[in-house]
Amino acid sequence: MKKILKTKLPELWQKISTDFDLFLPIEKNKTLNFSLWKDGEKVNLDKVRTTTSSKHLVFPQTETYLKFKNQNNKLSLKAVKAIGDEYVIFGVRPCDVKSFKLLDNIFLREPVDTYYREHRDRGTIISLACTNPEDTCFCSSFGIDASSAPLGADVAAWDVGDSYIWKPQSEKGQKLMDSTKELFTDIDEKDIQNLEKEKSNIQEKLEDLPFNNIDLSKIKGTQQEIFDKEEIWNEFSERCLACGTCSYLCPTCHCYDLQDYKGNNHGEKFRCWDSCMSSDFTLMAHGNPRTTQMQRLRQRFMHKLVYYPKNHKGDYSCVGCGRCVDRCPVHIDIVKIIKKLGGENNEL
Amino acid sequence: MENITKKIRAVAKQALIDKEVDKILGWKKGDLWSDSYPVFITKPEDTDTLIWDLFCINNLSKFLIKELTKHDKIGIFIKGCDSTSFNQLLKDNRINRDDVVLYGIPCEGMVDPEKVKKIMLNERVREIKKHENNFTLISKNKNIDVSGEEIKYDKCITCISPNPVVYDQLLSDEVENSKHSGDRFKRIEEIEAMSPDQRYNFWKGEFQRCIRCNACRDICPACSCVKCVFDNEDAEVSGKAKTEGEDTFFHLVRAYHVAGRCVDCGECARVCPAGIPLDLLNRKIIKDINEVYGEFNAGMDSTTPAPLVTFKLEDTDTFSKKGGK
Ligand code: SF4
Ligand code: SF4
Ligand code: SF4
Ligand code: SF4
Ligand code: SF4
Repeated sequence: MKKILKTKLPELWQKISTDFDLFLPIEKNKTLNFSLWKDGEKVNLDKVRTTTSSKHLVFPQTETYLKFKNQNNKLSLKAVKAIGDEYVIFGVRPCDVKSFKLLDNIFLREPVDTYYREHRDRGTIISLACTNPEDTCFCSSFGIDASSAPLGADVAAWDVGDSYIWKPQSEKGQKLMDSTKELFTDIDEKDIQNLEKEKSNIQEKLEDLPFNNIDLSKIKGTQQEIFDKEEIWNEFSERCLACGTCSYLCPTCHCYDLQDYKGNNHGEKFRCWDSCMSSDFTLMAHGNPRTTQMQRLRQRFMHKLVYYPKNHKGDYSCVGCGRCVDRCPVHIDIVKIIKKLGGENNEL
Repeated sequence: MENITKKIRAVAKQALIDKEVDKILGWKKGDLWSDSYPVFITKPEDTDTLIWDLFCINNLSKFLIKELTKHDKIGIFIKGCDSTSFNQLLKDNRINRDDVVLYGIPCEGMVDPEKVKKIMLNERVREIKKHENNFTLISKNKNIDVSGEEIKYDKCITCISPNPVVYDQLLSDEVENSKHSGDRFKRIEEIEAMSPDQRYNFWKGEFQRCIRCNACRDICPACSCVKCVFDNEDAEVSGKAKTEGEDTFFHLVRAYHVAGRCVDCGECARVCPAGIPLDLLNRKIIKDINEVYGEFNAGMDSTTPAPLVTFKLEDTDTFSKKGGK
């Protein structure tokens, strides 16, 4: 473990960005997003949650993978490589770090998604513990510890007042720290104490959060039984606007659509984010098996809370980041659903 | 506000018991201080959960389109901006006036949770109290007094119709117009003063952040098509690609499509997770319509024909003089 003074950060960003694309939480026009850092950008490491998640780095919203051309009645196809350089992303919160693992389960199982693989391999992830968790955070319900060094981060970092403590956790992480070592200093007994204090400080705040006691084990019943709770699904879907905000902001949603751009004699095939909330989700040649918003909303929560855990050793497809809680225009959110399915009646 | 809550509950309960309506649309409180959300109630005993507080921002009118396909008569609580939306839906022939009972609530403006969080970032807000025109933000460790301008939604600060313009019953005394209602075109004038290139770049920068979630469209009372062109697989414009061209195309088509029907409720801007000021885009069109055809605010009534769908010999056309890019 080493530490770096906060005043040295600009130098560090400069140094890292000569070798890598550097992504940091950057504030711009009311939003905070992981964006490519350039000198002068307004970095905000105090607010825990970025507006959109970090998933767009490994799973871009739109990605072209094939270009085609028709010349003199001859069709030529050209595969397009995954775009982007080696990158470093700093400030990923433990929930978003876990989301990479949940996406890996989907994209890296056979047949491996080579685009995703490339984006994943090119990245060095530096996590940052959550000094100030928000009211809408409920990561602990998914066994995520916001004060800790999360599995899957190449380097774990903590804010300890005037400096950050960095702990390398992988070869990649070690390499990055070696290449910037002149900016770091060794830590001493006092720093260890500060780190422990920071961790227990975070723990204390987590326990005080309004959604600290969300208990998923209260959701009882077989898949079919939960599926059949139509009264609940109807109640929620009545006010659902069917916008895709919840799934587009979600770090673990991974549905995509394949589409073509058609020009006169050339075009592109691309994939782009999809959402089970949109009307053409699951539309196929024979028609659409999900014809109502109730069925689509049910799909969203069945997938997150029932299907995904069934297929992935009990892991839920939610990390409790609270983005959907914060941003659903009509306040339908996964916390209300979990409570309702768990038998707490007062929430619709 | 407690008094209005009491009235809301009593009115809703009686209407359901008397079978004057078979469903009530109102608001309910969730767990968090800022979470007040739309609820649909059919049982008289459930009306005790209805509330009216500083966060009842959701406009319930648009839900009527869908709900009226399932119910004969619906009771709905409406603020000023919800009432103009309601009129617009009537004018667009999406609902029937006879199928709805309107309980009007004069509104003093709603609180924007994002603004509160900015002032109290990481302080854990617990409650917001209103006294006269000021508010106290209460967190675990401290209280801060703020003025309404600091925490109300921008759209509420410049609102031109805080009192419902249509209702069957009004639940409280009318409120005074906001003293800033004359300022609603200020920001538009600033943008108009930009050079065409600056303006182009301004909007380019804004649209760039769009994630194409469609919340702006889906919340909008003027967006009431049965099948939106952007959802129509056969139209070949439904592209979900996140590219500059498509994002711009989406926004300009939408703005023109609601031109003359946009009631300036600002919901599109409120729900946008990317913080894109869509209200400015639509308000620019309102300003242009005012200048070209005389003052017109959509939704003030349900009968006056909108300027863009009528032709008068004395209409002037200044578009040719303005230019753009
Ligand atoms: S479902 Fe909601 S809380 Fe869970 S990971 Fe997705 S956005 Fe975050
Ligand atoms: S089905 Fe819905 S909830 Fe599941 S990953 Fe896809 S968009 Fe997300
Ligand atoms: S964000 Fe809310 S309204 Fe929009 S689709 Fe999701 S649940 Fe429905
Ligand atoms: S365009 Fe925006 S401001 Fe206008 S009616 Fe629709 S939601 Fe309201
Ligand atoms: S709500 Fe915002 S992000 Fe979503 S489509 Fe509209 S402008 Fe884009």
